[in-house]
Amino acid sequence: MTAPANQDPDLRSTEAPPELDWSALMAQSQEGDGQAYRRLLQSILPYLRALARRAGLPADEVEDAVQDVLITLHSIRHSYDPARPFAPWLAAVARHRIIDRRRRLLRKALRERPMDSETETLPAPPTYLPETAGEIRRMKAAIAALPKGQRQAIEMLKLKEMSLKEASAASGQSISSLKVAVHRAVKRLRSLLAED
Amino acid sequence: MASTEDLIAKLSAGLTPVARLMRPGLRALGLIALATALIGLLVLLRGFRSDLALRLAEPSYWLQLTGAWLTGAAATLAAFETSLPDRPRAWLLLPLPPVVLWLSGFGWTCLADWIQIPSGAPIASDSVRCLETIMLASLPLAFVLWRMLARARPLAPAPVAWAGALAIAAFADSAHLLIHVVQASALVLAINLLPAAVIVALLGVFGQRGLTSAAA
Repeated sequence: MTAPANQDPDLRSTEAPPELDWSALMAQSQEGDGQAYRRLLQSILPYLRALARRAGLPADEVEDAVQDVLITLHSIRHSYDPARPFAPWLAAVARHRIIDRRRRLLRKALRERPMDSETETLPAPPTYLPETAGEIRRMKAAIAALPKGQRQAIEMLKLKEMSLKEASAASGQSISSLKVAVHRAVKRLRSLLAED
Repeated sequence: MASTEDLIAKLSAGLTPVARLMRPGLRALGLIALATALIGLLVLLRGFRSDLALRLAEPSYWLQLTGAWLTGAAATLAAFETSLPDRPRAWLLLPLPPVVLWLSGFGWTCLADWIQIPSGAPIASDSVRCLETIMLASLPLAFVLWRMLARARPLAPAPVAWAGALAIAAFADSAHLLIHVVQASALVLAINLLPAAVIVALLGVFGQRGLTSAAA
């Protein structure tokens, strides 16, 4: 009974690079040797990245998967038996974590739908519409049809953009009566233009 | 997420020694010894079943009793082996042959007697003692086994939980078969598999890391 626990065909390779004795480094790490642990973790990175890539993880998930394996390895490092080869143990840990990540990604993909053209935000309708010659003529005619006081108020305050004080001085009307005249003029213009 | 180099620096800084887990075979042996001692203790406290002499003459009784104990031992070993990441799932097949022997005499009598008691009537003492024996054998073993298995922090805890529950049920029924006349193997199995089902369901809800680290 020596086959790996998980039988994903993409994740079966458990060959370790020959330059480092991972088992010895892990045994030293279990005894609290931080240097050995650091060397071990650094030396297994290419192997873990290759496993993650071979498992079909997207490129932007590979490094997260590797970190996930490192954290798991750290939390269960007491369960490694130095009398046994390290690479199959590491590969089994990696397989579990990579498969978990693949499942998470699959669940996420099933839950979320990509944005299609129908769900894209439509551009807002333009708020400034250039006036046409016809509209200007209609507006001039409507203003001309206003009573004198209202016409004067509109011309001074809206067309000439005078202040209430300036308009009051120019017309001799009080500020409050100019306000009332403009209000009534706007209301009347709306109804005149709506009729057209 | 921080860079992998940063993570390695963080993990290796201030590394403390860890107590290695003993080999799964040795750990299983410890629990099997504990379970056997508990069975012996319960027999001492409660006495052998009244018809033991008659039953010992029947091969079927021997088969069932041996099957129950062997199932307990095999399932314990399977649970400890599969709690480690690099051990094959094939270990889970180990309890199957003894389970067949154990299955030969399954019964629900203990619970059936208890349910059939009319309301208001005194509960039949043997049925109560039968349930007590099951609980006295199951609870301490389940507690110890759960703690021991959680220490390994299994990466795939569901099969480990099932194997552990089977082991406890089999040991509890070994005690029951020696002490009580009524057949209750199926009941013992149900009592022990139900908590395992709850544990597996909780693992699904809360995630395996949270539950195993909480128990460790």
